[in-house]
Amino acid sequence: MVAPTGALPVRLGPLELKNPILTASGTFGYGLEFQDFVDLSRIGGICTKGLSLEPHAGNPPARIWETPSGMLNAIGLQNVGIAAFLNEKLPRLRELGATVIANVWGDLEEDYVAVVRALEEAEGLAAVELNISCPNVERGGMLFGNSPPATASLVARVRAATRRPLIVKLSPNAPDLVESARAARDAGADVLSLVNTFVGMAIDPETARPRLSFGTGGLSGPAIRPLAVRMVYQVAKALPGTPLIGIGGIADLSDVLEFLAAGATAIQVGTSNFRDPAVSVRLVGELEAYCASRRVTAADLVGRAHGPAPSRLDAGAEG
Amino acid sequence: MRSDHPAVLLRTRTFAPSLFSQTFSCPDLAREVAPGQFVMLEVPERSRPYLRRAYSVADARPDAGEVEFLVKTIGPGTSALERLTAGSAVRLLGPFGKPFSVDSLGPRRPCAVVAGGIGAAPFPLLYRALARAGATADLFLGGRSAADVSIAARFAGIVGGDVHLSTDDGSVGERGFITEVFARRAESVPYAAVFACGPMPMFAALAPIVARLRIPSQFSTEAAMGCGFGACLACVIPGVDKPYLISCQEGPILDPARIRW
Repeated sequence: MVAPTGALPVRLGPLELKNPILTASGTFGYGLEFQDFVDLSRIGGICTKGLSLEPHAGNPPARIWETPSGMLNAIGLQNVGIAAFLNEKLPRLRELGATVIANVWGDLEEDYVAVVRALEEAEGLAAVELNISCPNVERGGMLFGNSPPATASLVARVRAATRRPLIVKLSPNAPDLVESARAARDAGADVLSLVNTFVGMAIDPETARPRLSFGTGGLSGPAIRPLAVRMVYQVAKALPGTPLIGIGGIADLSDVLEFLAAGATAIQVGTSNFRDPAVSVRLVGELEAYCASRRVTAADLVGRAHGPAPSRLDAGAEG
Repeated sequence: MRSDHPAVLLRTRTFAPSLFSQTFSCPDLAREVAPGQFVMLEVPERSRPYLRRAYSVADARPDAGEVEFLVKTIGPGTSALERLTAGSAVRLLGPFGKPFSVDSLGPRRPCAVVAGGIGAAPFPLLYRALARAGATADLFLGGRSAADVSIAARFAGIVGGDVHLSTDDGSVGERGFITEVFARRAESVPYAAVFACGPMPMFAALAPIVARLRIPSQFSTEAAMGCGFGACLACVIPGVDKPYLISCQEGPILDPARIRW
C-alpha cells in the first residue's frame, strides 16, 4: 500500500511542520549531539536546550536521580548562551536540514524579551518556545508559569518582540493548568506545549539528604504519561482550536497516538532520547506506516478522544 | 549512523559476593574500544532500571570478539546485570568518552595504577595498551575489606610491575588507604605517570599527592550519566577553568589539575 501523499505534515497555527514528532527541550542537547545516531532532517522539529542571553553554568551535581519508570533532574538550565548558539550550533543544524525551535528562558521579563530579540534576525529558526515552566532555577522559569497574570504579562511582552510562531511551554505544577493555558493563549501564544516536568523529590534514606543538590527536581519519563495525557485532554477540551503539543513519557507509537487522540496536534519526545537516541526518527517511521495502513493523515488522528462516540479506524490488512 | 551493538553474555566470573566480571560476545565493540572508554548498557527490561548505565570496558579481545565488564552490585542497574544468565542479550551503545593516553610512555620509567575497589574496572584493558607501548605499571589496589580487593585476582599475570594491596581493616595487604601506600612508594620510585580510578574521596586524597610529586596523571572520573553522549548534562564535574566539565564528553579520563576539588 502506498502512503497517502503527505500524511504526516501538520499545521499548528502559523507553524507548519513536516511531521508531528518533535524532540523536547533539555533532552536533545542542541541537536548536534544526536547527529551520529539520527538524520536530524527527518525530525518534525528540534527544541533546543533552554537558551539564555548569557551562558549559564547550571546546578552543582548531583543533577539526576532515576525513579520508577522515569527520572528526576535538576540540571538548572546549563546552556552556552545565545551568541554561541547562533555562531556555533545553528549554522551546523541548518546544514543538516534540521527544523529548529529555540527554547528560551530568563530570570525577568526583560531577559526573555532580550533573548527573543537576539534571535529575531537569525536565519533558520522555525519558532520560539517560551520556557515558563522550569522547576530547577531560583528565579524565572516556573514562577512565571504558575501564575496566570504573570504568564499573561510575560507572553504579551514576548509576543510584541517577535514575528515568529510563539510556543509557550506550560508547567504541570500550575495550580490551574487550564487557566494558565488560557492566559498564555489570550496573551498571544500561537501554540501551547504541555507538559514540562513535575516537581518531585528523592531522599537518601541513609543520610536523610535529598538525592539532588538542588533539593527538588523535575520528574519525567513514562511515570508521568497518564498525568500528561489527562492535562492535554483537559486543555484541548477547554480551549478548542488552540494548537497543542503533547509531552510526557512518550516512547512508543501507541504513546504518540494517545496524545494525538487527547487533542495534541504534535508531540515531543523527551527523556526517551537518553535511553534510545534514535527514538524520534523511529517514531516518525512508525507513524508513517500506521497512517498508510489506516489510510489517514496524522491530522485525522488529532482529538479523537473528544468525539461523540468511540470510532475505530479501519485497521486494514494489519488487523 | 551509530547504533546499538547487540551483545550476548558468555560467562560470569565471581570474585566475591556482588563483585563479578561478565564477558559478552560483541565483536564490533571489541575492535573499536580504547582503554578508559565506556558504553551505555541497556538490560532487556523496560521500567527498572529505566535509564541505561555507564560501564567502563574492562577488557576487549578483538580476536575473540569479546568485551568484559567488572561490576559491583550497588543498585537496580547492577542488580539487573547480576541476574543475567549466559545467553542473555543486552544492548551496548558506544564506545564513548576520551580514552587513557599512553603516548610517550615506554620502558624507561614505570607507571602506577591506583584503584579503589571496583575502580579497578578500566585497568585490564589499560594494561594491554601499556604492554604494547613497552611500559610497566605497578598496581595499587585498595578497598574497605578483603572482598573489595578480591578483584586483584583479575590482574594476576597481567601486571608487569609490583602489586600493592590495602584494606581499611588490614585483613588483606597493608592497613589504611591505598593513596597512603602509593604516596610512600612514590617518594622513592620516579613514576612516569599515574592512572587512577575510584571513589571521589580517593581522588581527592590522590590529587594533591600527584600534584606535589609533579606526576602526569589521568583520573577515570565517575558521575551519574543520563545519556552518555553529552545531551543531558547530568554528569558534570566542577572544573578549574570553567564551572563544570562534562564527564562523558570531556572525560571520563581527566587530568586532575583540571578538576576543582
